[in-house]
Amino acid sequence: MSTAVAIHEEAHVPQPKQISKPGGLLRRTNFLTALISGVVTAAVFWFVTDKITSAVAGAGATNSMALPSGLNINITMMYIGWVIGFMAGIGAFAGPIRWFLGHDLTHADAEYMAGKDMGREKFWKFTTDHKVVGIQYLVVTLVLFGFGGLLAMLIRTELGATWTEVFNPNFYNSIIGTHGIVMIIAMIIVISGPIGNFIVPIMCGARDMAFPRLNALSIWLLIAAIPPLVSNLLMGGIRDGWTVYQPLADQAPIGMIGYQICIITFAFSTGIASVNLITTIVRMRAAGMTWSRTPILVYGILGSSIMGLVWFPMYQYSQILALSDRTLLTSFFVPSSGGSVWLYENLFWLLGHPEVYVIVIPATAGLLEYLPVFVRKPLFSYKLAVSGIFGVVGLSAVVWVHHMYMTGWAPQSNYPFMMSTEMISIPFSFLVLVILGTMWRGKPWKRLPMMAVYAVVWNKVIGGITGVYLSDTPVDQYMHGSMFVVAHFHYMLMGAGLFGAMGVISYFFPKMIGRYLDELWGSIGFWTAFAGFQITFMSMFVAGLQGMPRRVLQFDSLFNISNWISTIGAYIIGIGMLIFLYAIIDSWRNGIPAPDNPWGGKTLENFTSTPVPHENFPVLPVVTSGPYDFGTPDPYELADDAIMQKTEGAEKVSARS
Amino acid sequence: MSTTDERPLASADEPESPTNRPGSMHLVKQWLQRPYVRRLLWITVAITAVIIALSFVMVAFMNMSGGPGSAIMNEIEKTMFVLTFTCAPLMAGTLAVLTYSWWGGWGSVASRDEPTSDGPAIQTNGVAVVTWITVCSVLAAFLVVWGLVELATITSDSYGSVPANQQPNSAKPVVVNVTGQQWLWSFDYPDSGNIKSDQLVLPVNVPAYFNVTSLDVVHSFWVVEEGVKIDANPGAITNTGFTPTKLGTFNVRCAELCGLHHAYMETQVKVVTQEQFNSWIREQGGTTTS
Repeated sequence: MSTAVAIHEEAHVPQPKQISKPGGLLRRTNFLTALISGVVTAAVFWFVTDKITSAVAGAGATNSMALPSGLNINITMMYIGWVIGFMAGIGAFAGPIRWFLGHDLTHADAEYMAGKDMGREKFWKFTTDHKVVGIQYLVVTLVLFGFGGLLAMLIRTELGATWTEVFNPNFYNSIIGTHGIVMIIAMIIVISGPIGNFIVPIMCGARDMAFPRLNALSIWLLIAAIPPLVSNLLMGGIRDGWTVYQPLADQAPIGMIGYQICIITFAFSTGIASVNLITTIVRMRAAGMTWSRTPILVYGILGSSIMGLVWFPMYQYSQILALSDRTLLTSFFVPSSGGSVWLYENLFWLLGHPEVYVIVIPATAGLLEYLPVFVRKPLFSYKLAVSGIFGVVGLSAVVWVHHMYMTGWAPQSNYPFMMSTEMISIPFSFLVLVILGTMWRGKPWKRLPMMAVYAVVWNKVIGGITGVYLSDTPVDQYMHGSMFVVAHFHYMLMGAGLFGAMGVISYFFPKMIGRYLDELWGSIGFWTAFAGFQITFMSMFVAGLQGMPRRVLQFDSLFNISNWISTIGAYIIGIGMLIFLYAIIDSWRNGIPAPDNPWGGKTLENFTSTPVPHENFPVLPVVTSGPYDFGTPDPYELADDAIMQKTEGAEKVSARS
Repeated sequence: MSTTDERPLASADEPESPTNRPGSMHLVKQWLQRPYVRRLLWITVAITAVIIALSFVMVAFMNMSGGPGSAIMNEIEKTMFVLTFTCAPLMAGTLAVLTYSWWGGWGSVASRDEPTSDGPAIQTNGVAVVTWITVCSVLAAFLVVWGLVELATITSDSYGSVPANQQPNSAKPVVVNVTGQQWLWSFDYPDSGNIKSDQLVLPVNVPAYFNVTSLDVVHSFWVVEEGVKIDANPGAITNTGFTPTKLGTFNVRCAELCGLHHAYMETQVKVVTQEQFNSWIREQGGTTTS
């Protein structure tokens, strides 16, 4: 018997039997069935919980309100019902059901789930293709920014109208908190969602993410998490700021449950997305893409995912415990029954601070990724950039107490945490040097993404120096809880994070959508928003220095002028953002079609066609050079360059740059 | 190749150099002679000057409502200056490179064109990296040391963590129990017959010591012009203190969102002379020791 014959006999690859049409249950599920299922399940959960709790409450009770926390229990179960029903309705449980029935997933099933040869309806379904998930994330992000931005306009309207109360205090406090948490969620996903899902697998040279079905699960969990949060405005609101400190949150109306369910669900979504991204990046990079040839954006997303995976559970626990205080009348955070408000603050800030880097690191890495393309120079000191990212990731674990300098929790701990907080500026400064070194002697190509780098570094410098004041405990004793803090973190999160994300999205837009972002309208929108941003938050620094506390709706007339200016600036931001949104929508539909390599980059996503085909590459690429191999030999280093010698003979002998 | 085309590191200044390499100071000098380096240095100097001027504006804003009212606030403002001066050159250097590149100092490519040629292939530069890391680390270390010393100073100023008998000031402190509740502050003078007030009255140049707590949710006791802030936590007592050095009326605000009327949870602190303080105590029905 020859070997050849044996191979021939085994050439028939075993395949599972196709039971139904490809896709099975998923053929029937989409966003609409998810909505219906979510609402129906929520109603059923409410009804059943109401019956059970009134039975528990004892004879004579007609409904659950006889229990001290009856309403809270009902609302909680209703929201849990919404999340479960929504996920069931979108088809998230098709996999486990198939497994219980003993059906195998066939190749045709998998292709159906990835949305192969499907039209636009794949964007409304539980689609596993990472490119579809990326676009879904992009749209969800835009919606969240629109909503959070609208709330920001309302806040500034109230603060600008110094002569009256535009909103009642409960509604005002609720929109502060909702604006905060909506923007935080949007900022956490704005790079890792659209870019991390769409671009990173292509940049790594993979056909999809490591766990495509978990990928779909993460986006739909996120979408399920939003309605409970938004609904809080109709249910008494969360009048506690985005930090929802206990025990104030315990006093809040039932809207608070929406916040807690949203965070618990969103933490699952983030954890799943982080695991997926980390596995993809670590295991699925193309052959030849060693750790020193991996694009810096991939490192940024990796660092951000690690932080999200490690620290998000802290926030989730804090909300689970708070929810249990509310429904089961435990007393984790209730001081009158032996609980501790400082415990809540610690759990909250254990995520609360790394989350800032979850936002800023991918945005910064995104800028580092495309900066070499626009100056046509190598990334300056690639290894320093990687060290900077991981230095920040490491130190982010030990700085959270700087949010608690003034709580009186442990005054002695202010010493070490001031030290660690100021030390984190060192790895961050590495990233600044990388940006400056890459700009050094380069000719910038003045397209919108490049201009965003200038805008972001400017914002980061201002956010950075004001951060130095706040990290210093004595100065923070004055600044803590004032408008100065608000202006500072807007410079970091919005100035560096959001404007960075606008640059990154405008860079990857042609690859994702297939069309360039309109240069004219995009730039007008970007710079209008940027100008408005400077006006708003520079003026807010002044209000903070003058001693204006944050989260107030009326204040001393000393702060009037700076608040008027801030409000005017905020409206300018609003106009700028609307123009930018118009540019995105207009370019999406009829922008200039982009070639395969829109900007002349050297990373892998530029070596497949635009729009990116199903499964990304016809043949998986092999990487043979670094991602930033731009540049001609340095004229200052070419000692025998005759022209240099003739004209600038004295200079060329000097050090390298 | 002629001999003049050898690696021309042997400049005319150092004909005797045995290794044929110029000294490092010489390299720095030559680097400094590059036109763009000189321009960058000038821009850096200009921006540094602007930042230093701005630091005075910032402190002026902090003093707009009548401060500084205590030694602590003075220390805070001094620290603001030190932090700004320490960061200014680095910040200015960053902004200088930024503006220079933005204005096209090294040339630029218009948005409608495409870059036709690559820039210099500067992969890294050991000297620049080491210099940058060293400078940043030294500055950060200085900030840390300064901050630790200042924190110790203001802590002993407000006797937050030192026993009362170690106070530098020999005067007997005024002890005030501060209670936050939604949405007002109340002040209780246990050494003066437990009188209660919704306004804080303190004698000038006498240390004031506060035991801060809350009846319901977390508040934050912020005496703005005195530079003192501490959270008022339910179920716990936190301490702070200061010695008012300036007569006048200053602001107490709540710096932690505490519910509906958080914005209105503010009152005043009146710093008066010892005699006025004593007569105020007696008016309130309290007893004075002096």
